Amino acid sequence: MTKIMVFELIAREQKCSPEDLTLDTRLEDLGIDSLRAITILYQLEEQFDIEVPNERIETIVTIGDIVTSIDQLRQNSDTECHNA
Amino acid sequence: MPQRVVITGLGAVCGLGTTVDDFWTALSTGQSAIRPLGRIGEGTRISIGAVVPDFDPGQYFSSAELPLLDRFSQFALLSAQEALADAGLAAGEGAVTTAAAIIGTGCGGKQTDEETYARLYKEQKTRAHPLTIPKGMPSAAASLVSQHLGIKGPVFSVSSACASAAHAVIQGRLMIQSGMVDVALVGGTDAPFTYGLLKAWETLRVVSNDTCRPFCKDRSGMVLGEGSGMLVLESEQHAVQRGTRIYAELAGCGMTSDAGHITRPDVDGIARAISNALKDAGLAADAVDYVNAHGTGTPANDSAETEALHRVFGAHANTLAVSSTKSMHGHALGAASALELIATVLTIQNNLIPPTANFTRPDEECDLDYVPNRARAQRIEIAVSNAFAFGSLNAVLALKTWE
Repeated sequence: MTKIMVFELIAREQKCSPEDLTLDTRLEDLGIDSLRAITILYQLEEQFDIEVPNERIETIVTIGDIVTSIDQLRQNSDTECHNA
Repeated sequence: MPQRVVITGLGAVCGLGTTVDDFWTALSTGQSAIRPLGRIGEGTRISIGAVVPDFDPGQYFSSAELPLLDRFSQFALLSAQEALADAGLAAGEGAVTTAAAIIGTGCGGKQTDEETYARLYKEQKTRAHPLTIPKGMPSAAASLVSQHLGIKGPVFSVSSACASAAHAVIQGRLMIQSGMVDVALVGGTDAPFTYGLLKAWETLRVVSNDTCRPFCKDRSGMVLGEGSGMLVLESEQHAVQRGTRIYAELAGCGMTSDAGHITRPDVDGIARAISNALKDAGLAADAVDYVNAHGTGTPANDSAETEALHRVFGAHANTLAVSSTKSMHGHALGAASALELIATVLTIQNNLIPPTANFTRPDEECDLDYVPNRARAQRIEIAVSNAFAFGSLNAVLALKTWE
């Protein structure tokens, strides 16, 4: 689910098809600079209601990194909700 | 002797249209762009303005470019492109690469700022859009003009409210005179039709809901406009060498501050700025044919400006033609003095004085020849363009025909 939504968003931004993207696609290879990357992350934060910490952003190189980060952050927030 | 500085390119976007041709056609026929604001003014007591008509950014910019372009940057880019092309200069080539770009703005990217603030304050969202700073910063227009046109010399923005563009023009002239650059793109841009800004102007009680009637007995205030004006300045030597058309010489500049009231104009400060411009140009007061007035249509400005003109020009004031083109393009704040300088250049070029539109009846405190309602054909060799800003900052530009 996360993967589909991330692929769709990046494809929309890049004006390409989600089929052109893979988890290993590097943002840099798509011509996505740091300013565009944080704009994409901002949209995903809104969509998934998560907060991507700055230190996590520094580790994001591929589309797969984005998907993993979102899943982990969502999982963490679910755990926090359950523990509360 | 410092270099003589000439004007070789013009670009204009405002309520009268998106090109210099639109601009001059309307000015020379006395057409005003002031219209009901409709939905733009909803929730405010400001009901009229001079909005760029049917402006569709998608017509001029790609979807990849638009996310970084606040409306004030869009206007700046359009008029900068027009001015550069008009001067026969190509983006990113030759003299353009070392040129200066100095762009005045009174407001900056207010649309961007306000959208973010509305999300945070009104919608209670917790995140600001990441482009809020680079898109909304007051220098964004200057940076984006530099980026899009490949201008790599000194580039920055200046802000002095309603005199911003005139101060930018003066800065460009000084750079050319000093030999720092051969070419400078100068002007101003503003897009003030945002809810927050309209509410802020509303509460100052200086905006008219009738129309802009500068120097009239029944004038009731200023009317906001939006847009951008840009000019290409060059050293005379550079322009002559490349054989380009020269519109006029930017012969003199005068800057003063009243060191006074934050909103009330001061006759002495205004008069000193005009005198300084004439002195800088080496011109006698009685050599001036035309003054493009600051002429906002507020009771305070128009009487103070008239008194200052009497003080500087003495008996010659009575034979001087004075008009306020704000009656047609509205008060475009940081862009105003660039649009008005372009109007002044075209007055010289065409020997045709644009009128003060919407003129009804004279005021005893405003007793000059304001060229009411109809353009006047008259030989104009020397003209002055006035800009006086909130915060008591005055900038006056003197133009001469170039021969």
